[in-house]
Formats: sequence, C-alpha cells, structure tokens
Amino acid sequence: MNKQVKEPIRKKWIWIGLLIIVMGNVPWYFSDSMVEPYILGFPFWAFFIFAFSVVLCAYLSWICLTQWKIVEDEEEVEK
Amino acid sequence: MGELTFAGIDGIVILTVFAIIMLVIGYYSGRGEKNIHESLSGYYLASGNLGIVALFFTLFATQYSGNTIVGYAPSAYRTGFSWLQSISFMTIIIGVYLLFAPRLYVIAKKRNFITPTDWLQHRFNSKGVTLLAIFLMLWGLGNYLLEQLVAIGQAVSGMTGGTIPYQVAVIAFVLVMLAYEWMGGMKAVAFTDVMQGIVLLIGILAFVAGGVYLAGGSFGSITQFIAENEPAKIAVPSAEVNINWFSMLILVGLGASIYPHAVQRIYAAKSEKTLKKSFARMAWMPLLTTGLVFLVGIIGIKLFPGLEGNASEQLVGVMANEIATINPFFYWIMIIFFGGIVAAIVSTADSVLLSFSSLISNDVYGKFIKPDASEHRKVMVGKIIGIIAIFGLLWIAWNPPGTLYEIFVLKFELLVQVFPAFVLGLYWKRLNSKPVFWGMVLGAIVAGLLTFTGHKTVYGIHGGIIGLTLNFIVCVGGSLLSSASLKRDPVLEEDLNAVYIKA
Repeated sequence: MNKQVKEPIRKKWIWIGLLIIVMGNVPWYFSDSMVEPYILGFPFWAFFIFAFSVVLCAYLSWICLTQWKIVEDEEEVEK
Repeated sequence: MGELTFAGIDGIVILTVFAIIMLVIGYYSGRGEKNIHESLSGYYLASGNLGIVALFFTLFATQYSGNTIVGYAPSAYRTGFSWLQSISFMTIIIGVYLLFAPRLYVIAKKRNFITPTDWLQHRFNSKGVTLLAIFLMLWGLGNYLLEQLVAIGQAVSGMTGGTIPYQVAVIAFVLVMLAYEWMGGMKAVAFTDVMQGIVLLIGILAFVAGGVYLAGGSFGSITQFIAENEPAKIAVPSAEVNINWFSMLILVGLGASIYPHAVQRIYAAKSEKTLKKSFARMAWMPLLTTGLVFLVGIIGIKLFPGLEGNASEQLVGVMANEIATINPFFYWIMIIFFGGIVAAIVSTADSVLLSFSSLISNDVYGKFIKPDASEHRKVMVGKIIGIIAIFGLLWIAWNPPGTLYEIFVLKFELLVQVFPAFVLGLYWKRLNSKPVFWGMVLGAIVAGLLTFTGHKTVYGIHGGIIGLTLNFIVCVGGSLLSSASLKRDPVLEEDLNAVYIKA
C-alpha cells in the first residue's frame, strides 16, 4: 500500500514533460513566413499552438488523475 | 458593454429569475445547518465537505468571470491569433496547483486551516510574514472585488438597454449576493456556482453558435478575410509578444493558483479524490471557455471590422445584438447569455468576498485583535467588515477605470509575491522567515513601482514577474546564507515529512 503514494512534485519527468509542452505552446520557433499553408482555417503556426494547447489540457488532466495519490486510500477506508 | 437595446424588459425578467434562484439556493444551503454560523470552518469552508459537483463548479465559476468573455473577446479581436495564449495561461494554472495542492491538502486537513495565512503562520511563525501576507492578499482581493463590482454594473445596464441604470444594477446584485452569502457561507457560494457555471457554459456555446452562423459558417473564410484585410492579426508573433506570452503564463499561473479563494477551495474539498477529479476536469475548461471566447473575437474581426480602443471593448454587446436578430430562439438565448455573464461575475465576486471576510475573521481579528473570541463572533466580524468593505469599494467603483484588463494585471502583481513563501515553504526546510519577509517586501515594491511608473512590462516581461524573481533570489539566497536553518519544531517537522514517511 505504501508504494502507492504518489506526489507529482517528486516526479521529475512530469515537470520535464510540462516544460516541453509549454515550450511548444509558445510560437517562438516559427519563422515569419509560416502563416501558410492554412490548416482547418488556422494559420500554419497557430494550428500547432492550438494543438499544443489541447495536449497541455490532456497532459495536466491525466497527471491529476494518475500521478496524485497521497491520502486517498486512507480517506476511502475512513468512509 | 454597449447598448443592448434588444433586451430591456425581457432582460429584467431573466435577471430577476436568476436573482431569485440564487436567493433560494442560499436559503436552503443555510437552513437547518447551525454549524454554518457557529464555526469558521462551517461558514468559510462548508466544513471541508464539498463533493465533486459543487467543488468542480465552484472552482470553475470562480475562476472564470464575466470578464473572461466580455474582456477577452475584444483582446482576441485586437490582437488576433496570438490571443490563443488565453487557453494556455488558464490551463497552466492546473499545472501550478500540482506543485503544491497535493501536499497542502494533506497538511491543511490535518491542521484544520481556514485561510492561506494559517499555513504561513504555521510554517514561519513570524508576525512580519503573516501581517505582510495578509496585507498583500487583502489588497489583491480588494482590487479583484472592485473589478467585479464595476463589471456587474456595466453588464446589467448594458443588458437592459439602460433601463436599469449602472448604479442600481450594482446595488441590486450586491444585495442579492450579500443575502445568500450571509445565509449559507461557502455552501451557498458553491451551490450557486453550480447554477451560475451551467448558465455561463450554455451561454458561451450559444454565443459561438450564433457568431459562426452570422459569419457564414466557415472558419476558413474568416481567416481568409483577416489575411486579406488585417494580415498582422494572423502573422507569426514577434519576439516581444512571445516573451510576454511566457511572462503571462508565469504570472497568471502562479497568481491565480495562489489566490486566497483558490487556496480555500483546496481546503474545502471533501477528499483528495474529489479534489484531483475536479482539477482534472478543470484542466479541460479553458478550451470550452477562453478557447471559444477567442473564437468569438476572431469571428468579430470579420463581422465588425475596424473597431478600435473603446469601441472594440463593446464587441460582445454589439455581436449579441446581431445574433439576437437571427430568430426568436437566438433572441432568448442571448438574453440568457447576458444573464449568464452577470451570474458569472456574481459567482466570482461572492467567492472573493467570502475569502476577504475569512481573512478578516480568522487572520486580522482572530490572530491579532481578539484571538480568544468565540468562533461565532469571529464569523460575525468577518461578515460585517465584508459588507463595509463592499460599500467602500462601491464608492470607488462609481468611477470605473479604463479597460478591465489593466486592473486584472495589477492585482496579480502584488498577490503573486506570496508565492515563494507559500510553496517553497512546503518543501524546503531551510527557508526561514527573515528572507521570506524581505523577499516579499522587495518583490512587492519593485512590482508596485514598475506598475505605477507606467512600466507594466519591460521587454514584454511583467513587473510582477521581475519583482517575483527578486523575491525568489532574496528568499533562497538569504536562507542559504543564514547559519541557523530550521528551528527544530516537531510539529512542522512532522508535516513537512508527512508524505515522505508514508512513502
């Protein structure tokens, strides 16, 4: 049971992953000409930024659900 | 908000219905629960017993205010696609919560914390740190509340086409809010948030549907229009915009997660499971709110080209007028949408007020003026000072400042200075009170000075972030330099080790 304790701050990979997604989510790496081609109505660069935004939502939601478990078992037992 | 001539009497009817629903919810939240008025935890934290539905909606409705729509759509309109940042900066808040909420939840439950200050007092046991933190938090909350009060008036008078004047609108909704909050405390706030959050979501979805319909249905044709007429709005952002974007992520992420009312929602969760599930859902909400609002702004560029400055601030109102003329269905949906905006503002204001009162009850009065007073009395003092503060702020609100966005940044600048003490203190035993105090002081002064001298950003970086960097340096450097590190405090030692011992 003890091994199941999970605290996000102690898992380095979570934060490295977050940093990578955030870096991808700000359009510093596009050159000025990357407005075209349009993808689904988005300018080329903005499409990628939007995609990264969705990834960011999914990633954080998933981390909350799977990488965070400190007192849950005890609380569930108390119920 | 513009002259919403389409609404008038119908708007008044919807607003009245909403107000009555809020009062009924408030009444039933407080009825038969003696605990609510007799204990700080009962009144301010719903006895730490909020289940998944109430917790999720109160997180949602508190974080997303009417401004998120009324203020952000014009931002998207003016800046174009680079306003996609509004999705990321609202999402990153959940990432910052993950830095501290899991552990804070455990300690807060164990030690029965009421306010964020309880944690700081417990951790640093320093009058200076406690007082300064209270001051910064009250300042931030006060400003935030002021902004909501200004917004309520603009929204209501806009919606009713001026039939209800600005000042009457504010007073009416403030009274409704005060009444249900008085009756049910956090429980009333959270339960009304469920209703307010649902109305807001329905409203946004309908608004976007109407906007897309008006614009001809194809997103591609909108982008095409922008490319031909205002290419700057689809261009790849410049380096300064990108730096500002990063800065915004840090400022909003750290600031919004550390808001006293946000922290208190961690305390109010029924269980860890409830809390993490709520956060997991919250992580998706930016797409449904700021994401759709972004879309509204972009659609607006095609529908109403050429609006500038103040005229662009009216975008949502102007657009709602157009959508309402499509057919009777959309007419009513738009009225509900505006009611939703008012509900969203009220749902944010009530939470901020409750948190403001709790800081007065538990921290100012309970820690410094009369620690031995009964909890009933402490709750009472908080309620009454809260009401006085509201009317003080209303007095200021009669002269609303320029655009909403500017005040929004100002409140974060100071509040965010509490972050190092709050979060670093959870994990780093060596961090001690003196550097924390001076870090906060210097950070707040730098942030305040930069803002007041008109340097809200330097090379795109917000003044609050520059202050915060200095704050962190002082905290860490000072703590490393001071010879005596952690005073052996067995209770604190136990708390900070709690998670490790378990593992």
